[in-house]
Amino acid sequence: MKELKRYGRLYKVFVAQFFKYLVQSRVDFLIGLMGFFLTQAAGIAFLYLVFEQIPTLADWTLPQLIFIYGFAQIPRGLDHLFTDNIWMVSWWYVVNGQFDRYMLRPMNLFFQVICEKLQPDALGELMVGILLLAMSLSNGVVAISGTKIILFIISMIAGAVIYTSIKLLFASFAFWMKVSGPVLYTAYQLADFAKYPTEIYAKGIRFIITWIIPFGFVAYLPASYFLKPGVSPWSTIGLECMLAVVFFAISYGVFHFGTKAYESAGN
Amino acid sequence: MIIEVNNVSKEFVSPKKYPGLKGAIKGLFSNEKVRKMAVEDISFSIEEGEIVGYIGSNGAGKSTTIKMMTGILTPTSGQCLIRGIDPSKERKKNAQNIGVVFGQRTQLWWDLPLSESFSILKEIYNVSDEDYESQMKFLNEVLELEEFWTRPVRNLSLGQRMRADLGAALLHNPKVLYLDEPTIGLDLVVKDNIRKAIREINEKYKTTVILTTHDIEDIEELCNRIIIIDDGKKIYDGSLENLKEKYGVTRKVTMEVKNLKEARQVDLSSALHVSKEAYEVTTDKATNSVEVAFDKHCLSISDVIAQYMKHTEVKDIQIQETELSEIVKEIYRHGMEQETKQNEEGMVS
Repeated sequence: MKELKRYGRLYKVFVAQFFKYLVQSRVDFLIGLMGFFLTQAAGIAFLYLVFEQIPTLADWTLPQLIFIYGFAQIPRGLDHLFTDNIWMVSWWYVVNGQFDRYMLRPMNLFFQVICEKLQPDALGELMVGILLLAMSLSNGVVAISGTKIILFIISMIAGAVIYTSIKLLFASFAFWMKVSGPVLYTAYQLADFAKYPTEIYAKGIRFIITWIIPFGFVAYLPASYFLKPGVSPWSTIGLECMLAVVFFAISYGVFHFGTKAYESAGN
Repeated sequence: MIIEVNNVSKEFVSPKKYPGLKGAIKGLFSNEKVRKMAVEDISFSIEEGEIVGYIGSNGAGKSTTIKMMTGILTPTSGQCLIRGIDPSKERKKNAQNIGVVFGQRTQLWWDLPLSESFSILKEIYNVSDEDYESQMKFLNEVLELEEFWTRPVRNLSLGQRMRADLGAALLHNPKVLYLDEPTIGLDLVVKDNIRKAIREINEKYKTTVILTTHDIEDIEELCNRIIIIDDGKKIYDGSLENLKEKYGVTRKVTMEVKNLKEARQVDLSSALHVSKEAYEVTTDKATNSVEVAFDKHCLSISDVIAQYMKHTEVKDIQIQETELSEIVKEIYRHGMEQETKQNEEGMVS
């Protein structure tokens, strides 16, 4: 408990730094946000274009697809906001020996990596996600209830954990490969598939994003619980949570094992 | 014993690389590995309050040893115990007891003001408010951190950064302080201040200090004991005086004489009954001086000078003891010679 408080206090120091940064560099921040909105707008425009040609896509209506698209943005944004520093491990910290400093401090290594940086760009993803969800909800795609709100929050957190686990797993390969950025980047690109219903993809891709790099579980599967009547929360959100726990345990294990194999770098 | 290093070895294994594009493709399919023993079967123990210089040429394995003692690297075999804790097994517990400064790499947060870095470290090491106050007061006295307290670390000069890093490593008052080349690239004044600070900390808290350096002055001014490592193996462990005694056998006497011709007639080998290999004489016409370098176990200074005084008038005498830097150079060279010899032998067979 005392230990937990210490971690909490430390995290607060970094969060305070983050807000200081936001205030000090408003311009940078706004430009980053703008760029992000433009990318997202292009993604949405693409959906509209498709729907001008065909009325439904694998039995999904446009507002439903927008719901899934928005739904996918939020866990991605959460993960992006809180654990962005994992990228640095895969690209730099291992190969140039900067990981040393984490090893020298009496705190959990994973915590040290993620607490050092909050990524402001992620706020764009979160805003876009919330905006799209609000849009689709105003079209009445989901019958809102108390249970659904709670399950929604749980699903967002579980989804973010899955994102983090995937990042952590591929970043940990750096302990053996020195640089695992390219591998992580490739794996992370598959997250784009999560924005659309998995049914629209070919079998091979569906298999990969469901069972190997489980991005299919962060949006489409839990979203279907909210969108389709008669879908059990256990087989969707329950499954998502279970997967989040299992996958995080595996990734964390690999990370921990990797730190034992860490070779630092010569001066 | 505060530090015990028992038969520690570290081997690095990397895939074998071949030159060129063809080689890169070949490397993909071959399973050949290159093994390098960075540290081989090293043992030593250090008592509380000692300042130990850990020296060796580049790539000798100094940093690798330090990294194993601090818990960054896991030894391939053997064990380090720092206050009874094995850093590779209980990294966090060990980290609370140690402070580390790597001269070439800061451990502070690059973009944050120094004051913020310290408040973060205060939480990381769980330093109480009272301890923080009193330690900061002491650190400010010896390191004068106040000068640049509010500046971001990236804006500090190298000397300021090193003082900041040293202060950061000492905030939680560690029992053991590891310094990896703490004076590299610093000017003389800053070097001196850093050394003074290290001495004061050692005196005040009985902090055990292990330092690696290429600067012989660091060793001469700080260390009461040195360990020399070469090619991953320990080749010397003992006091500075002992090392000078053991390796610093050559002495030099330079005499300014009135008549160089007369001085040349001196024959030390027949007069003092020693072999001609025990000494070397060089004369310098420009300064009218004779320089005799000799093995101090075979000849004594007084005998040498007496011989010259018998033949000519000596105007001035200078006696030089071998400097530590020369001893160390000699030891490195010796080690390298052995290595090339071994390689040559290997090629023949």
